[in-house]
Amino acid sequence: MALSGDLKRILPLRTAISTSAGLASAAINFLACVEIAEYAGGASAWLSLLVAGVLIVFAGANFSELNGMYPSSAAIRVWIRRGINDNVSMVTGFVYATTVVFVIAADAFVLGHVFEAAWPAVSGLIWIVVLLGLVTFINLRGIRLAGLVQDGNGLLLLATLVTFSLMVLLHPHTPLTVARMFHLGPNWFQAVAIGVFIYVGFEWVTPLAEEFEDARVIPKGMFIALGLIAIGFGLFTLALSVVFPNAKTLGHSLVPQLVLGMRALGPLGFWWMVIVSLTTAMTTFNGGLATASRFIYALARERVLPPQMARLNKALVPQNALLTLSGLSLGLAILVYVTGQYLFLINAGAAVESFMYALTAIVVANLRRREPNTARIFRSWGVPWASWLIAIIFTGLGVGSLLAPSGEHGFPGPLVFLVLLTLLAQLYVWRVVPKLKAARRGGAKVAIRKS
Amino acid sequence: MDLLGALENFATECNQNQRLRQMNRDWTRLVELWATDTDLRLWLRSDAGLISAGVGSAADADLKISAREDILREVFSGTITPTEPYNAGDLLVKGRQDDMMRLDIITLLIWGE
Repeated sequence: MALSGDLKRILPLRTAISTSAGLASAAINFLACVEIAEYAGGASAWLSLLVAGVLIVFAGANFSELNGMYPSSAAIRVWIRRGINDNVSMVTGFVYATTVVFVIAADAFVLGHVFEAAWPAVSGLIWIVVLLGLVTFINLRGIRLAGLVQDGNGLLLLATLVTFSLMVLLHPHTPLTVARMFHLGPNWFQAVAIGVFIYVGFEWVTPLAEEFEDARVIPKGMFIALGLIAIGFGLFTLALSVVFPNAKTLGHSLVPQLVLGMRALGPLGFWWMVIVSLTTAMTTFNGGLATASRFIYALARERVLPPQMARLNKALVPQNALLTLSGLSLGLAILVYVTGQYLFLINAGAAVESFMYALTAIVVANLRRREPNTARIFRSWGVPWASWLIAIIFTGLGVGSLLAPSGEHGFPGPLVFLVLLTLLAQLYVWRVVPKLKAARRGGAKVAIRKS
Repeated sequence: MDLLGALENFATECNQNQRLRQMNRDWTRLVELWATDTDLRLWLRSDAGLISAGVGSAADADLKISAREDILREVFSGTITPTEPYNAGDLLVKGRQDDMMRLDIITLLIWGE
């Protein structure tokens, strides 16, 4: 038995590819590449990215199986709830949602520095406030950026990276030798761990599963997008090692993409990269705020978060959720801009994602046992043994990201932060959620603000 | 009350709510509901905000919702919010997220938080 007939509107494979690639392509990836190259010891950064990418393919297979079983925009909330339990699902949902805030803040940081490099007279902080404020305003009015603009930007960025990187690599000032390309630095494992961050977000196409008639295009789209991301950013890190032959000097650049653009095409390349950085960060802001605010809305409707988070404005946008996310992102972006501790965001973000990939591997194994008869349009590989191995590897990579130095004194800030965040989320789930669930429903009149 | 009765009451409540009529004046959609355990199929139509319901399959539906019959009945009678079974994987939807959100908002406006 199945639902009858076809849907009026369906999304094609190209949308799955562009959405997956677009959501993974954040402006902070440029700085993550720099960090990866530093840890990898220079030109072998591409190899770290490739290894991380191969591991991510296994994570992609797990997401594909879960998405095929329960194609839902609630995604991990549903899967972890069924595969483990409601408590773990809520705690991980809260922690996972903070990754969106991290990525928005990180992209705001990059954007601030890009604009400061382009127009030194205006502080990057002003750009951050103005541009993040602009995207928040657009979202509050219920205006959605056209899907073509939103999704096409990822492919534009990757095409730019491939083109500019090849231009630099084909005319290198410092030739790449095989020895350099395969020289593994002492922190190569951490380079792989941070390499996970480059692919962060590829799986955020799964919440769109309901809009595809044939859910099998989601796995195809994710795997193709992973390949494109690996090629684009792999070439970018290789080109960086040509522009910066000494890995230690890499860390001093906060706008490596502008340097690469300049090297490839002169001032035209520089300004092209400014524009691409702007569109990339803006689409990150837009996609992140739109998706996460609706996730928060859904949790509030389920009475896991306070009902105020489900309040809608006249444009039917969950405005309290949106403003809270935007405010948190802006605060974090300003804090990071002032302190310069952007590695904190990359390392913590990479860790959260690694733990999430480990958890989904466990969920796949558990659901094979708990729900053997549920239809699966995609079956992950080597369940359960490969699942447990993948879970162990990603847990190790997550710990590696948390322990990677992100400050001058080697204080493991991301580790402390993530532990505290998880404890707070657990405390909230134990103490506050039961009270919210028990509360009686209010009247319909309070649901929408009149102003 | 059976599922059809719940749907008809839902349609009546929607049509009597002026704010909802105003909100949905640009919303013309056909929704198919499938009770997976009883194989009962019903439809719900919004014609520029005027809601109607009936029994049978819906060709060219904009939105398709499937769940056990008791869950569908609870959702459309306001006993639970659609988000509760949805976030548990007990209610599955096919279609645009904007339309899903719109249906959820309608239940929010009728029955509150």
